Formats: sequence, structure tokens, C-alpha cells
Amino acid sequence: MKQKLIIGLSLILLLAVIIFMVRDFYKGSNRNQSNPYEYKLDNLKNIDPELITYAESKQIKPNVENPLAIAIDSKDQIYVCGENILTKFDTTGNQLLSFDIHSTAYCIHVSTTEEIYLSKLDRIEVRNPNGTVKELWEIINDRAVITSIVTTEDFVFAADAGNKVVYQYDLKGNLIKEIGKKDTLTGAPGFIIPSPYFDLLIGTQGKLWVVNPGRHSFENYDFSGNLVSSWDRTSMQLEGFSGCCNPTHIALLSDGSFVTSEKGLERIKIHSPNGDFKTVVAGPKSFVEGTKGLDIAVDSKDRIYVLDPVKELIRVFEKQ
Amino acid sequence: MKKKLSIIFLLIIFSIQIYNVIAIQRFPKPEFESGHTQPPTLTPDPRSQALDILDVFVLVAALSIVSWLIIKKRSRKGVFWMSIFAVLYFGFFREGCVCSVGSLQNVTLALFNPEYNIPLTVIAFFILPLVYTLFFGRTFCAGVCPLGAIQDIFALHPISIKSWLEKVLGVIPFIYLGLAVLYSATGTDFIVCRYDPFIGFFRFEGTFMMFVIGGLLLLIGVFISRPYCRFLCPYGALLNLISRFSKKHITITPAECINCRLCEDSCPFEAINKPVILKHKEEKSIASRRFVLLGIIIPLLILIGGFTGSQFHENLAIVNSKVRLAKELLNNTNYGETDQEAFEITAFNSSNQSKEDLYNEAASITHQFYIGGWILGGFIGLVFGLTLLSLSVFRYRKDYTPNKGTCLSCTRCVDYCPVKVNE
Repeated sequence: MKQKLIIGLSLILLLAVIIFMVRDFYKGSNRNQSNPYEYKLDNLKNIDPELITYAESKQIKPNVENPLAIAIDSKDQIYVCGENILTKFDTTGNQLLSFDIHSTAYCIHVSTTEEIYLSKLDRIEVRNPNGTVKELWEIINDRAVITSIVTTEDFVFAADAGNKVVYQYDLKGNLIKEIGKKDTLTGAPGFIIPSPYFDLLIGTQGKLWVVNPGRHSFENYDFSGNLVSSWDRTSMQLEGFSGCCNPTHIALLSDGSFVTSEKGLERIKIHSPNGDFKTVVAGPKSFVEGTKGLDIAVDSKDRIYVLDPVKELIRVFEKQ
Repeated sequence: MKKKLSIIFLLIIFSIQIYNVIAIQRFPKPEFESGHTQPPTLTPDPRSQALDILDVFVLVAALSIVSWLIIKKRSRKGVFWMSIFAVLYFGFFREGCVCSVGSLQNVTLALFNPEYNIPLTVIAFFILPLVYTLFFGRTFCAGVCPLGAIQDIFALHPISIKSWLEKVLGVIPFIYLGLAVLYSATGTDFIVCRYDPFIGFFRFEGTFMMFVIGGLLLLIGVFISRPYCRFLCPYGALLNLISRFSKKHITITPAECINCRLCEDSCPFEAINKPVILKHKEEKSIASRRFVLLGIIIPLLILIGGFTGSQFHENLAIVNSKVRLAKELLNNTNYGETDQEAFEITAFNSSNQSKEDLYNEAASITHQFYIGGWILGGFIGLVFGLTLLSLSVFRYRKDYTPNKGTCLSCTRCVDYCPVKVNE
């Protein structure tokens, strides 16, 4: 009886296979109108509204042509730079200062002493709080593309996307060491940076966090240049980062969480210090398709400032 | 035990495919503008001709070894290990292509389309198993064909099916063969390759339905051994016909059969002819009447089959891309697309061909299908007729013998035979 049942079921399955083949050949369309190699990101652009816990509260027009970088100092004053101009605002959006920087600045950082560090592609310009040039640090390598600068009490760190390395300087601009360089002898994998987005910051525990965008990872280094820890999240979903190189920019919230911005799928998200996805600040629908280089900064009240280079706006997002 | 180990090994290999499922697309392309240059796109070189020749040598060697193991050594263990080799080499290493099963389409296309330049390797893969079958029976099916070998490994709990059912289902490969020849001859499609159930496993990639069909056939194969070989394989149908004339086919017993009946249920493919006791032999007059009747029925079946096939020629032809395009243009149906122009129509419009030329070409192809429909239908009618004949014909047998047509020479029955020959 059991055998008959097995035989019966097996034959039904066999006939089903044959019928499917015949039907597929004669009735199936055998054609696919859509391009199988086309990236279909539409579904990924739809984000569950419940996961978006931030809302845009304010927009500030920075009056800077081709704005590229944003920074916030300890007094929550906002600095935006781009082509030739650096502008400073207070939290309400009133312009406090604006001065000519004579060329394009690719990134900006304001130290606790309010000294302004600007990347002029292959050199670092240090300016006094009033905008006058204090120092100019030449980078030794002509392939340098400085994309991010941070400072501590003793050091200045600069991310060089062109040479795929982080430079550690003293406050006078003397190069101390290179961090994270690929080294086949020690097995250091190095940074993978296919596009000019390479960000870093100082974490809540005073350690250096560097984005390795090609690996979709965050790497934590001590000031001796040793890799302490890292995490990576590769995913097209909200849980991680996708594309050749993401996230493009990062910032730090007071609880140690990371604010991240991505290109390809234009998203601003928050990840916990161990890398787990926490929430969405703004989804792809908040930005013009193709927007990239969304620099971000966070003030003392954990408000997130996004510099939208396409709309040429500072967009402020606050937790709902 | 070995079989279980083999299954575990294969399951591990299949599980690697999960990698494809969890693989993540990366986008967009790198855009660095500071001296980084995109490496040029590299296209892999065509496979070396030396490797093609090696494949033919491996095929000859495998056929020779397996035939020797079957006919001379009568070793089931040897055949089993050859099956494993076939799965690994012709299956996973060669990714199931070129295979003898699909090669019949290339040969057909080459016969009907002089512009098609068929590779010699393909001819060798088509001819060699046929030649070996003519001499030694279906030794190719036993341990060289990767499609058969992979199913053989899964034949864990074979259950017998009724012989009439075996006969009825056994007609399907001949229909499949006829269709495969028709569609290759008209340059329409290689349907055997399109519905190759195991190629997805061998290549670790394929459509979801490909894996479902392959998985189902392996599942069915646990109970009904080698379902693809027995009830679908068109090349097997060809080998079935040729094997009937094989010079030196495997025998169950190495000497005289002692009718111990130990081998009676040993064949998972129902390919053992049981002895027919003399007293059951029917009278000559009845047999003569049957033959006369069959002599009328078989030509009638061929005629009916041919006529029926010819009446379905338009249905058969519709899968031809040019016939379909002509029909879509004629009826202005745009392949059922409503939101945009079908890409076939866009491609046609951008070519310089006129609609009249296309219609003429489609009419010519449809006429080919009309003739092909007659031949296909006639062939199917003949197969039905011969099946009827084989069911009704009386054959006196005193020994247990393998059915030379359906026996896959797997040598399972040999192990059951207690008769040994002292060498």
C-alpha cells in the first residue's frame, strides 16, 4: 500500500514535470522584456515609514557655490565650504562670517580651538577663527586627495583617498606616521577606495574611526596606528551598505552611534557603535536621484545636518 | 555506505549554490577621478582545442573502461566509481557540455543546415556512445553519461512499476526525440538543452525552475530509478534502438542460468526479461492473426499520426522566433506588451528587412513544420505501433536475460547471480 502510494506520487510528480516542460515551451513566453542585468533599485528606495524616525526640521541656504563640505564646532556654529567661499552660520541659520578661500575646499574640520582645517585637494590649509590663513601643510605625494580631517588635543588626522592612507600629524603639521596602508608583509589589507569618499572621525572613546568604503567597513585604530577593531555590513538592504564604496560620509552622535550617508542609494542612516542598523534619518526619496557626496555633521543636541550638494542646501533633521 | 557518502558529497557541492542566492550586487561603478583608470573589459579566451581533444580522449577512455568493467569484469563497484568520475568530470568539471544527449541536436542541425559548422568534438560525442552501444550495449548510460550517473547515485530505494506502465511511459523519450529533431532541423530551438534538468547543478547556476525540475527528478529517482533516462532522455531512445542489435551485451549470468530467481527483482529499471514457460506459448494461428492485424494497425497508426502531426504544424511552429514575430506583427499584438514596444519588434523595425520578407520566411518555416509534422506524427505512430507489437508478441525464453533495449548495463543484477565461472 505504502509502495503504491510512493509510486503514485512519484508518477504524478514526473507527469507534472513533463507537463510543466511542455507548457513552458509552448505557452510560456520564452522571453523577458526586462533587462536582466539592469539594476532594479526601485524596491530598495521604498523604505518603511516606521523605520524613518527623523524629520526634516529646517533648511538653510548656504550661499556657497558647489558646496562640498560641512562642519559644526563646539558652539554648534555651522561651517560650509565649496568653491572659493567658506561661510559660517549660527544654529538659526544667520550668517556670521563668510570669506574667500581662493580655491575649492573638499573637506572642512573645526578644532576645539576653532581653528579651521580645509582640504585643498593635496594640501591642508589651517585658518584662524577669523578666516586668515595660519599654516599650509603640503602633502608629500602628488596623488593625494584629502577627503577628511579630524583633530585631537595632540594630533591631526587626514584621510588621503588618492593614496589610500590616513596621515597622522602633530599640531604643527609634522607627519608622524601613515595609518592603514596596505602591507603584504604584515597582512594589513589596506583601504579600498574606488571613489573619492574616505571619511574618518574620533569616536567617543577617543579612538580613530576610519571608513573603509570598498569593504563597507568601519575600522578603529589607536593613535599608534594599530587596528583595534572593525565591523562591516554589506547589504543592499537597510542593514548595511552597498555599491562599490559606501558609506561616503560619517558623523558621530553623542551616544557613540554613527550617522552614515550613502551614494547610489541615497540614504542617511544611523548604525550603533557595533555596526547594527538602528534607524533611517532620510531615505532615497528625500534626495534627487544620483545625489552623491552628502556630507553630514551633528551638533551638541544630536541634530543631523546634511549638506545636499544638488539642492545646495543645509538640511537639518531632528528626531521625531 | 559509499552511496551515502557520495550523496553527502553531492549535497555539499549543491549547497555551495547558496552562495549565489546570498550574493549581493554592487553598484554603481567606481568613479574615482584622480588618475584611476578602469581596467579594460576582458573576455575569456575560447576553450583550448587541446582540451576539446582531451575530452574526446577521456570519453573514449571512459567508454572503454566502463565497457570492460561491465562485459569482462562484471563489476558493479567499478561501474559505480565510473559514475562518480562521470559526474565529476563530464558534469562538474565540463559543466555538462558538450554532452552526448544534447549533441543529437547539433548533428541534426548540421544535417539540415549546411551553414552550421558542427565541431568535430560534438560529432565525436554523438557517434562514440552509439558505436560502443552497438558493440557492448548501453555502457554509456551505465557509467559515462553524467545525467544518468547523478540519478544513479540517488537511486536509493527503487520500487518496481508495472511493465505496461513502463512501456507506456517509455514512449515519451521517442516523442521527445522526434520533437528535438524537428526543432533542431528547423533551427528553432535546442529543447533538450533548454530543459536539461541537471545542468544547473553542474554549473552552480540556472533558473529557479531548472533547479526545481532537477531536484524533483532526483527526488523521484529515489523511488523510480533514473526517471530522466527511462522516461525522457531522447538520446537514450536512440541508444535503446541501437542496443537491441548490440553484439556483446551484458548477461545476468556468466554461464547457464539456473533459474534461481535471485536476480528477478534486482533491476531498478525493470529491464530483466523473465523466462516464459513453454506451455504458455500461444497457438500459431492466433499469432498469425495478430501479426496480420498489427500489419494493418501499425501503418494505420503511422498514417493517423502523420496526419495529426501535420494538422498541428502551426502549433508546433509558433515557438519559432520568426514565425512568432510574423504572427505578432500581422495581428499587431506586440507580444502582449501594453506599456512599451516589445524588443523583438523594436529590433525588427531597426533592421532593413521588410515585413513581406519576414512573412515569406515565416511561411517557409511553417511549411517545413507541416512536413516535419507529418514525419513526427508518423514516427510517433510507429513508436506506438511497435510498442503495441512488443506488448503482444510472444517470445519464448528459458533464462533471465536483460532487455537489450532498456537495460542500462548498470550490472546490479550481476551481483545477485550465484553462478560463478572459474577462470
